Amino acid sequence: MKTLEQLTEAVGRGDREAVSSLIESAMMQEIGPKAILDALVAGMDDIGRRFKANEVFVPEVLIAARAMKTAMAKLEPILSEAGIRPAFTAVIGTVEGDLHDIGKNLVAMMWRGANFDVIDLGTNVSAQRFVVAAREHKASIIGLSALLTTTMPAMRQTVQTLREADLNGAKIVIGGAPITQSFADQIGADGFAPDAASAVDKVRQLVGAA
Amino acid sequence: MNHRERFLATMSYQPRDRSPLYDFGLWDETPGAWRPQGLPDGIDRSNAARFFGLDAGLGGGEPEGWSGVAGVSLCPGFPTAILDDDGDEYTQRQSDGVIVRKQRSSVSIPMHIGHTLVDRESWAEHYLPRLNPDTAARYPSDDDPQWSRWRNPHRDTPLFAHGGSLFGRLRDWMGLENISMVVYDDPGWFESMVSTKADLIVTVLKRMFDRGVHIDAIGMWEDMCYNAGPLLSPAHFKRFLVPHYRRIAELARAHGCNIIWVDCDGCIDALIPLWLDAGINCMFPIEVGTWSADPITMRKRYGRDLLLMGGFDKRILARDPQAIDHEILRLAPLVEEGGFIPMPDHRVPPDVPLANYIHYTQSARKIWGGGVNLESAPVESIIRARQVTPNPIQRTHP
Repeated sequence: MKTLEQLTEAVGRGDREAVSSLIESAMMQEIGPKAILDALVAGMDDIGRRFKANEVFVPEVLIAARAMKTAMAKLEPILSEAGIRPAFTAVIGTVEGDLHDIGKNLVAMMWRGANFDVIDLGTNVSAQRFVVAAREHKASIIGLSALLTTTMPAMRQTVQTLREADLNGAKIVIGGAPITQSFADQIGADGFAPDAASAVDKVRQLVGAA
Repeated sequence: MNHRERFLATMSYQPRDRSPLYDFGLWDETPGAWRPQGLPDGIDRSNAARFFGLDAGLGGGEPEGWSGVAGVSLCPGFPTAILDDDGDEYTQRQSDGVIVRKQRSSVSIPMHIGHTLVDRESWAEHYLPRLNPDTAARYPSDDDPQWSRWRNPHRDTPLFAHGGSLFGRLRDWMGLENISMVVYDDPGWFESMVSTKADLIVTVLKRMFDRGVHIDAIGMWEDMCYNAGPLLSPAHFKRFLVPHYRRIAELARAHGCNIIWVDCDGCIDALIPLWLDAGINCMFPIEVGTWSADPITMRKRYGRDLLLMGGFDKRILARDPQAIDHEILRLAPLVEEGGFIPMPDHRVPPDVPLANYIHYTQSARKIWGGGVNLESAPVESIIRARQVTPNPIQRTHP
């Protein structure tokens, strides 16, 4: 078990090389891919907790996410072979009229770190594109981002369009610098997250994965 | 008391006749939105402060300050070019080498989609030569008529010098994700880039001081925080940036310049003590935003060592006159104490009704400005604004 603990720590400090060699070590010890995955997710959860507590900052989250990406490139073929798939699919994008992507990218990284399958639609995404992608990928979660106060009306419109579409109860989570819980309540979103780490907690709560 | 005396007295807690009345400026779209509401043609960001009866604007164009003195950024800039045009959206290479996607329907922050600065080689080839303090174009020419004003220790308007940026521009030039990786993957190079920027700033400022320029304040720009905290850890900030901020601050103070502000949006709480320790002693614009920054709270926490500019929640301007007056009155005791120049916490957006803005300027003059009358003559064309506000601003076109 020491290897898995070391793996969790290595993800948390963004050490790609250590992550890579520890995964190989775990495999040699015949530790199952699900246990390895859980150790990686625990590392990302820890970085998320420390991010929310202002113990680490954006660069530390980015290098942890990069280490997680390195790990998943190694692990995904084995997970796939074992029939282990992410339990939830999330579609994410910045709403129409808004070209900003840093906040959205951070949330996508954290959701991937939590082992969600993330479909990133990019920026300036129309309401209809969200609907089509959510249907195509059978999304459980739809994440909407906006940086500009001027694109908050587009977020409202997107939520309305998503509500009118039949999306099998997919949960809508919103965020971005000008967004508040009050605004989320006003426009009928299922959840609001003030930062990327909280977006993981919120989604787990909404889809019952906590 | 002239404008310069008032500014310096305010920032050193000395008695003065009234607070300076500044504004951050207007969004580019705001004058257009205000025309149907009565804003006369010819009033724009460059002259709005004077038109609305304020002392000076930060939005540009004012001759009596905020002029920068000498250049501390890329010189020359990269040739700009439109690389792709899809109507409302287009792709442009900016003068800082960044490739951005912009919307013609919005002038807000564009999306960065590519960078010229990607590694040590591109830094050495494209950026280092543009950060040379010896480049003549950074400095005003010897026959520039401004020299006599800048050298006059008794002039009646304050003079502010550009202090540049140690991190914010690097973040722009590389992108947040790339510069964040460099901090961990190649800290020596990151330190070298910061040091180069600081060397440029120190050298340019020193040359201006040596040529007899009396600089009243230095304005730096970083924008290195988001809505929950800094984009760089305080530990890295302390290790990489603080020593260089200190160099700039020590140079300024050695030449009698005791006010160095940093323009940083977002939640700056974690960085304030580090900036103060380095000698950067004035925070601007104290964005209230969703992170609830408050100049009154900051003064209580850091005392009079911390100077403040901004701090009026611009979103209140979009509400109603009562809300505007309530906030002006709430900030009034801090204005009275000094070390604080109130103004909207960012540029005024187009969703603010013109009548509300006029009300704000009137109340600011009355409450913060001791009833000062900065108006000179009526502007007949503010017809509709007069209809919706009982005491319309009366001000000539400057």
